[in-house]
Amino acid sequence: MIKMLLLSSDNLKAYYVLSEGTVRAVNGVSMEIDHEVIYGLIGESGCGKSTLANVLMMRIIPPLKFMGGSLLLNGVDLFKASDEYLRTRVWGKMVSMIPQSALSALNPTERVRDLIKYVLKTHNKELTDTEITEIARKRFEELNLPTDALNFYPHELSGGMRQRVTIAISTLLNPDLLIVDEPTSALDVSTQKVVLKLLKRLRDSKIVESILFVTHDIAVLRQIADQIAVMYAGKIVEMGQMEQVMQDPKHPYTKALVNSVLTPEPEIRKRGLTYIPGEPPDLSNPPPGCKFHPRCQHASEVCRAEEPTLRALGNGRYSACFLNESTTEV
Amino acid sequence: MLKIKRFDIGITILMLIVLLGIIGPMLRNVDPFDFGNLRDMPPSWQHPLGTDSLGRDLLAQLMYGIKTSLYVGLIAAIIAVVIGVVLGGISGYKRGLADESLMSVTNIGLLLPSILLMVMIAAYLKVRSPLMVAVIIGVTSWPGMARGIRAQTLSLAEREHVYLSIMSAYRASRVLFEDILANMAAYIFTSFIIHMSGAMLAEAGLSLIGAGPTMGTSLGLILFWAQTMYAISRGLWLWFIPPGAILVALASSLFIVASSLDEYFNPRLRSK
Amino acid sequence: MAVALFTFSLIIFLLPRLIPGNPLAALLAEIAQRGQANPEAVRIYERMLTDYFKFDRPLYQQYFDFMGRLFRGDLGTSVRFFPSKVSELIAASLPWTLALLIPATLVSWVIGNYLGVVIAFKRGRRTDKVVYPVLLILSQTPYYWLAMILLYYFAVQLHLFPVAGVHSPLRVPNLSIDFIIDLLHHYTLPFLSIVLAATGWWAIGMRALAIYETGSDYLLYAESLGVSNRRLQRFVLRNSMLPQVTGLAINFGTVLGGALITELVFSYRGTGYMIYQSLISLDYMLIQGVFMVLMVTLLLAIFIVDVIYAYIDPRIRTGYMGG
Repeated sequence: MIKMLLLSSDNLKAYYVLSEGTVRAVNGVSMEIDHEVIYGLIGESGCGKSTLANVLMMRIIPPLKFMGGSLLLNGVDLFKASDEYLRTRVWGKMVSMIPQSALSALNPTERVRDLIKYVLKTHNKELTDTEITEIARKRFEELNLPTDALNFYPHELSGGMRQRVTIAISTLLNPDLLIVDEPTSALDVSTQKVVLKLLKRLRDSKIVESILFVTHDIAVLRQIADQIAVMYAGKIVEMGQMEQVMQDPKHPYTKALVNSVLTPEPEIRKRGLTYIPGEPPDLSNPPPGCKFHPRCQHASEVCRAEEPTLRALGNGRYSACFLNESTTEV
Repeated sequence: MLKIKRFDIGITILMLIVLLGIIGPMLRNVDPFDFGNLRDMPPSWQHPLGTDSLGRDLLAQLMYGIKTSLYVGLIAAIIAVVIGVVLGGISGYKRGLADESLMSVTNIGLLLPSILLMVMIAAYLKVRSPLMVAVIIGVTSWPGMARGIRAQTLSLAEREHVYLSIMSAYRASRVLFEDILANMAAYIFTSFIIHMSGAMLAEAGLSLIGAGPTMGTSLGLILFWAQTMYAISRGLWLWFIPPGAILVALASSLFIVASSLDEYFNPRLRSK
Repeated sequence: MAVALFTFSLIIFLLPRLIPGNPLAALLAEIAQRGQANPEAVRIYERMLTDYFKFDRPLYQQYFDFMGRLFRGDLGTSVRFFPSKVSELIAASLPWTLALLIPATLVSWVIGNYLGVVIAFKRGRRTDKVVYPVLLILSQTPYYWLAMILLYYFAVQLHLFPVAGVHSPLRVPNLSIDFIIDLLHHYTLPFLSIVLAATGWWAIGMRALAIYETGSDYLLYAESLGVSNRRLQRFVLRNSMLPQVTGLAINFGTVLGGALITELVFSYRGTGYMIYQSLISLDYMLIQGVFMVLMVTLLLAIFIVDVIYAYIDPRIRTGYMGG
């Protein structure tokens, strides 16, 4: 019997409906996240990855609109769930997100320990204050965070500390899936390392099952991700095991991405640094056919005319490019 | 979509009342100051709202009153806006000594209960035209305006395009006009509307205590006479309810128009 | 603060004196009316009074006299209500006014803020569509007009409430239950008219602030962790309350002015009514005294507000402590 995947989405679509036009931020995303996996989602700014993260969380705030597809979390069809269900059973418990603006995610007029109290109490009204303090203290120790921080206000903590505290609060209820959106972008390298260590620790101590790590920084992903999905113009263009994709990228965009990053591995370093010409497409008015074709050096007639679909290449590898045509369609 | 609807409602009510005040008297040629009618008459074809205790036709009073109240509101708002923009703009742009001194003046102006000033000035001028009352109200309400303009100017002055203009050696007045005031146009406009609404209500309050215009009639003055003649105790509701209702309608519609414009210019405020 | 006080004392001293008119006029007219119509006698009185009030002394001397007495706590003697002392007059009328204003303002502030937040959360839904217009109209309604309507409907038509005054003219103020009920009876309509109008005002103001706050990151984040709506509303309330607290202090000045009109409509013998009399009759001493008291109270209110600010917003607290 095949074990149920933690998260699986099928042809997920969500657009921003604005007066100036419709932005197709998530334009048919089918992905699967297994248990006990750190899954990386990489893409340039504006490719729709943050929107995807929000949609996977069921945080669909107007003008964002759900346009189609399905999303199963632990087998539960989230789009059929009521608001009540989302609030009491899903958010914080099944899936939890650390938003891109994590530094301002904490209420400035409440102490850290009070925020923890509210989160815990909402899901278990019986808890006493002493029990809450115990839980908070233990969790902070487990995650190598100073328990003093509990008594501070957010503005009294450093940026890196606030990030780690936010991560701690997001995982209080031991969510199955933790989504982190650009957790390291605003931090210096040494703090980045600390945050990455924290995330790994969360997964290793089984506080969370899987982590979806959304970023534009390949170098960071290399340090932490097991699997990776590459996103471009609202679609996933390549998926696979982290190392495999890095060593042998199949999609031209992935190739270009890998080549544009300086890495210590000699084989990759040999290729030299290249940049990707052109700009990401305007998602309210995307080019026809393959969305990457204007910037692709291998583009041909068919690329301009038709859109390639994400196909399985065997071995857990997927790619959406006419160059990699294979037998199985996803 | 909802905001467009609200704006429509607001502007419609506003227009209806304005038309009543301006076109009304032309269509219905009755003198609001004719004391010759029978007193305290109930509504009739001749006097749709009846007459007051001094024999004046109430509908004519109402229409004339609308005109005067609108006039006072408009003039007072213009005065407040002009003074407020000039002083607030200079204060926020120049900063330093000019700012400090202007701000202390403004603060004192804000704290001083304007009622005090207005009543005393009213006692000084035994005969007051609506224009004078408008000037008094305008001159006592500019501090609030100046404060807001100053805040806006301060934040706008930090922006790059202003810096660029200064670097290009534009004269201070040119910078002020082109870069700062031009960007504040929406704010100034909505503030103007709010001030107009406030001025109308202020005039009504002044008139009610006898410190309003001593000529003509306004919505506040109608209420003043109603109050003086004990219209409430005597149950003459057609005397004091319509003017107040019109005031409320005017103030509310102005507020709706102002806040809809605000939402339009500032997309962040739009509803979901 | 001290600078403001001194400046204000100068203004309140000079302004009435700049207005042409004899401060003694009203008083002398009253004396003449009481049967002392003899012009010679009136002139003697005038000289006596002018001497007593030192109105013939140079302005700067009068000012020093005024300030000197002020520091000793002596607010002088009223001209209009001679020979009552200003402090007596204030003491007699102020309790009535404060008893009306303070509860009415506080009640409407609390209810208004709460409603404002709730409406902001329920934006666009049924509750908002009904309640918001009502609150809007209430906020733009002058409370003296609301007073007129209430008076008309409940007092004149339904005879449920008395039409005027603080208490029945036949009764003498005492602490009996009977009197207190009579007092409350008279108190209800003026109280309601202020509360209804003011609640609308505070609610609309709070709604605007709350709507801005509902877009905040921390709120979205807390919501994504399943925190209840009620708790979220409390966050918004607390974080957007600051401008409302300032508004409360500044409001004090305007409310007293508005109370003036309300008191007139209801013939409620409070300080507002007295202020009106003093302004109309150009009673220098009373004007000075009352407005100085007003100013001091206002500055005190602002000071208290600053303290409350620091209590509510920990960011300001840290700033003060140099954190």
